[in-house]
Amino acid sequence: MRGDEVVRVEHVTKEFVLKHNHVDSLKGRFVGLFKRRMRPRHEHFLALSDVSFTVRRGEAVGLMGRNGSGKSTLLQIIAGILRPTAGQVVTHGRVAPLIELGVGFHPELTGEENVYLNASLYGLRNKDVRRRFRDIVAFSELAHFIDTPVKNYSSGMYMRLAFAIAVHLDPEILLADEILAVGDASFQQKCREKIASLRRGGMSIVLVSHSEQQVRSVCDSYVRLDKGRVVESGVFKAPAAHVR
Amino acid sequence: MDQVAIASASLMSESLTHHPTARLTPLQGLRALAAYGDMLKNFVRKDIQVRYQGAALGFLWSLINPLVMIGLYIFVFSDVFKSTLPYYPLYLMAGLLHWNLFSQITGQSCDTLLSNAGLIKKIYFPRLLVPISSVLFNVVLWLLAIVLLFLIYPFIGGQARWVLLAYPVALAAFLLFTFGVTLILSVLNVLFRDLKHLVDVALLFLFWVTPIVYQYHRIPPHLRDAFALSPLVEYVLIFRGILYAGQLPDWHIMGAALTWTAATLTLGLFVFHRYADSLVEHL
Repeated sequence: MRGDEVVRVEHVTKEFVLKHNHVDSLKGRFVGLFKRRMRPRHEHFLALSDVSFTVRRGEAVGLMGRNGSGKSTLLQIIAGILRPTAGQVVTHGRVAPLIELGVGFHPELTGEENVYLNASLYGLRNKDVRRRFRDIVAFSELAHFIDTPVKNYSSGMYMRLAFAIAVHLDPEILLADEILAVGDASFQQKCREKIASLRRGGMSIVLVSHSEQQVRSVCDSYVRLDKGRVVESGVFKAPAAHVR
Repeated sequence: MDQVAIASASLMSESLTHHPTARLTPLQGLRALAAYGDMLKNFVRKDIQVRYQGAALGFLWSLINPLVMIGLYIFVFSDVFKSTLPYYPLYLMAGLLHWNLFSQITGQSCDTLLSNAGLIKKIYFPRLLVPISSVLFNVVLWLLAIVLLFLIYPFIGGQARWVLLAYPVALAAFLLFTFGVTLILSVLNVLFRDLKHLVDVALLFLFWVTPIVYQYHRIPPHLRDAFALSPLVEYVLIFRGILYAGQLPDWHIMGAALTWTAATLTLGLFVFHRYADSLVEHL
């Protein structure tokens, strides 16, 4: 890995097995012995085929493509959730997947309890969360509600808290699936400023989006996928100054 | 790639390599797990909190079920069947409490991965933490009962004997055995969703073929050897030996129990390790 590379995707191929008549019970297996019609059929499906690219420190790369082009699968592989069938992904630094906000939030727990729970899922120690807690609450603007169960939160409050946690994980690599800002207009502005300041600190972003406009406004370069293959990649004109 | 450490414990500079053939060595795996210690703590705390939310007696509810069971069995076996065994309540509790621990953990093990599917699909963390936290949760609930047993121990016929020192070792071995079973069942239930019902039936069956409420010696002699093959029978004999009889059972009983533990744990870790990465595609 070269000095300033933080993500390197090397010849990644991902094959899914598409299950027709999927059987996930012992009973189903038993029935399948006698009835041909009920027998499961498997079809192999190539979600990604020989995808390679790298992300440098501080760089923002947009993964573009239509629905089903494999971009979200690729993000899951970079996050370590899925394993590639072939090839490898090397990441350097803490990865914060913003694939879905508020994963692991429990409705019965208070905002505060959920902050600790959620941050620890990303590998943060409780003592580190304690140090950042004040900042997280301040950012989310939920100081008044932080000790009430999140089941009473509005969806906007829920997203604000989740987003506040994610940007306070000190990620070196942020993996985002369309979401880079939540809440009302002024809160969205705050999100964008926070992300810009994290990027000045050297954070890299991999942003999945089917909106070219969104990618253009955030990213320095892009990779376009179609049916699991890289069909185009390049650098946007006038890339942000801090990148190179 | 010398600069790329795999899942180093210092998370501030954590690096990960994902490769179909890249596997963590057991030592690296343990280090990664240690870094997630706080997550385990938060998880168990969450489960307990959620379970007893709004219940006036809170945590104490976990005692009601075993207390009622113990009371009923004492009534049935000392008043109805007229057991001649001295200190029957102690005899019963030594076996029953450990059975409860096993059946509670095992009964839940099938659901652990499925009920955390949302997390597993969205965030990467060592998957082993899911079954571990499920076991720990049940152990914490169970602790109240066992502490209570030790508090009343002198009053129900228990004696302070050296053999009691073997108890923590026996308990640890028993928990490792149970953990092995949990690992196997949790993975298998993802692949065969109806396993859960089979486990429920198997637990009911196991309860009555294990001499918990009755005496081992009441088992017909020609069946006794077959019964002794069951790890549950062996562990009940061990726990009752330590807590009730004041002496450890025959060495071959203990040897068999430890062999079961080693075999189950090895198989469990192997199965879990083998399927942990692809499980997410089946959830």
